[in-house]
Amino acid sequence: MGQNERVPSLLLIEDDDAIRTALELSLTRQGHRVATAASGEDGLKLLREQRPDLIVLDVMLPGIDGFEVCRRIRRTDQLPIILLTARSDDIDVVVGLESGADDYVVKPVQGRVLDARIRAVLRRGERESNDAASFGSLVIDRSAMTVTKNGEDLQLTPTELRLLLELSRRPGQALSRQQLLRLVWEHDYLGDSRLVDACVQRLRAKVEDVPSSPTLIRTVRGVGYRLDAPQ
Amino acid sequence: MTQAHQGGARGWTGARKGVSSRLRFTSLRLRLVVVFGLVALTAAVSASAIAYWLNREAVLTRTQDAVLRDFEQEMQNRAAALPERPTQDELQHTAGQMAGSDQRFSVLLVGRDPAGRTVYGSSGGLSGFSLRDVPVSLRTAVNKAQKVDGSNKQPYHLYWQRIVDHDTPYLVAGTRVIGGGPTGYMLKSLEPEAKDLNSLAWSLGIATGLALIGSALLAQAAATTVLKPVQRLGAAARRLGEGKLDTRLRVSGTDELADLSRTFNNAAEALEKRVADMAARDEASRRFVADMSHELRTPLTAITAVTEVLEEELEAETGSMDPMIEPAVRLVVSETRRLNDLVENLMEVTRFDAGTARLVLDDVDLADQITACIDARAWLDAVELDAERGLHARLDPRRLDVILANLIGNALKHGGSPVRVSVREADDSIVIEVQDHGPGIPEDVLPHVFDRFYKASASRPRSEGSGLGLSIALENAHIHGGEITAANSPDSGAVFTLRLPRGTSPAEEQPAEDELKPGGDTDRPQGDVKGDA
Repeated sequence: MGQNERVPSLLLIEDDDAIRTALELSLTRQGHRVATAASGEDGLKLLREQRPDLIVLDVMLPGIDGFEVCRRIRRTDQLPIILLTARSDDIDVVVGLESGADDYVVKPVQGRVLDARIRAVLRRGERESNDAASFGSLVIDRSAMTVTKNGEDLQLTPTELRLLLELSRRPGQALSRQQLLRLVWEHDYLGDSRLVDACVQRLRAKVEDVPSSPTLIRTVRGVGYRLDAPQ
Repeated sequence: MTQAHQGGARGWTGARKGVSSRLRFTSLRLRLVVVFGLVALTAAVSASAIAYWLNREAVLTRTQDAVLRDFEQEMQNRAAALPERPTQDELQHTAGQMAGSDQRFSVLLVGRDPAGRTVYGSSGGLSGFSLRDVPVSLRTAVNKAQKVDGSNKQPYHLYWQRIVDHDTPYLVAGTRVIGGGPTGYMLKSLEPEAKDLNSLAWSLGIATGLALIGSALLAQAAATTVLKPVQRLGAAARRLGEGKLDTRLRVSGTDELADLSRTFNNAAEALEKRVADMAARDEASRRFVADMSHELRTPLTAITAVTEVLEEELEAETGSMDPMIEPAVRLVVSETRRLNDLVENLMEVTRFDAGTARLVLDDVDLADQITACIDARAWLDAVELDAERGLHARLDPRRLDVILANLIGNALKHGGSPVRVSVREADDSIVIEVQDHGPGIPEDVLPHVFDRFYKASASRPRSEGSGLGLSIALENAHIHGGEITAANSPDSGAVFTLRLPRGTSPAEEQPAEDELKPGGDTDRPQGDVKGDA
């Protein structure tokens, strides 16, 4: 699991008492600092008071539901969010990913799996080699972990940033969805490729001039995605 | 006349024959046209014939009566005034005078001159009128003296006959002057009357033709008014058969067809209600299973999370636990996992039943995928894989994994290792065979291996699986448009053959996402493929 000098702090928003208690117990044993909230409203309040490193968010919440909580957080914050969905019905997953979640786990979830996902998401924010790359007006600074477009800072979530870094590391080369799932999400061979599509969609909305006709992040049909330097 | 009329009728029949070649002989429209036509033909022809004959008789009789009266008058006035034995000249003169009447007939007088010779006097009008033109039968009748008694006061009478000479009808009459004198004959051309009658026949023929055409048009109109609703009814019945149960007909009028439409509507309504009831009941029971699995999940999530804590306790600090408690904890841990699998499978089944299962397609290297599946379940030692890398297919990797895990897991459980998995290409599909080396599947079990909760033998009440594995594998194959078949290998063991389509080639895929709008769910190249479950 690697040694963390800092214990990551999590915010768990889950309305069911038993699940909240059990997951808190399990995640605490895995070495996380866990704060809990029983509703979306409480969760958003808690988020303002103490800044966690990551949010584990149940979809089915009384009052404002998980998707709405996710959208509200995304309006101001690029904090990683993992959805906890009781319904693995595909449409819910898609809505969740479109509302800005970084990853999702399906209930009943094993604590170990959730822990692995959490750590993978947290690793995305870690710094790496000291270099920079530019693609047209887009400049990626790998040491500062910042991306600027026309000199302006772009607000990217760690997942979006990691996706952009992985693509920019191999400019002009197509990466399959499965490859990207392994590289960015650290999922096993059964990763859900819709995670990639949703994230590419969000990334395009931020880095492309015209998101509907992307010139940087191109789709390679039947394969995956590719980052092109503009002509 | 009649001939011309018949010719017209033949022409009409010929025209209709051309139409009938396009119509089905049994079609209601054709039958209606034929019946209408026959009725109109019969009515028109009989009416025309009767009218013609009545007219003809009336016209001819009137003309004839006038002519004969005139002729008789002339005979009495002029011929009787002749001396008993007139000369040729006298006869000729009288004949000329007689022919000068209004009726314009030719006259031939036959008498004996004073010398006892037979002399003829003919009016000049028709130079050709001679005794030869008078039929012998008429001459005989005219010259034959009849017995005079109470009912017959005269020995000689006026006789007449109609003859046709060179296509022109004539009236010939003859009589004798009573008490001695010349015999007179007259010849009157009936051509004007014949012409009138001819044009009458033509008019009647044309009227008959018009009646036929009118009847055909009427039949068409009648057929249309009858057949339109029938066609609508047919189309509606077809739609109903196709499953569009909300099909209804617009009912107008109070005739039999409206009744039929009403009956159809009632039947369709009853059918729709029944189907809706059944669907609702079906839906309710599915809902129940789906809701129940959802409800089971919530406590199960809590239990699973805590079970792991217990499990880690078991692994990490063995010995620290009460030896009485340890087996209990182990049982709870393993049974929780089983319960998890069961609920997961139940959820999967309800998704297939509800038709909400979706495919998330991706380009998959089959050898890699199978290796990963075997590896993830620590089956590498027990499975022989015969597959070349580089064989790609477009399918849902998670669903392929479910299929493979169930097929291989089943083979390992019932057949024992080694299990042989081979992959090959066949046309547009991928064929994956999973073969075990066990005793095979009994023939009576073979048709039921994919049934839900079907246990291969009653003596094995508790198998490790949920009883849903193969059924789920089959559903997953179906949603790909593929198939799984089970058979026994001639050597030994059971063979499950999975056949999956290779999926759309990149060229046939949806339009490039680059052209699609962002934000929507359009930018998912996998697309949502609706399940056929």
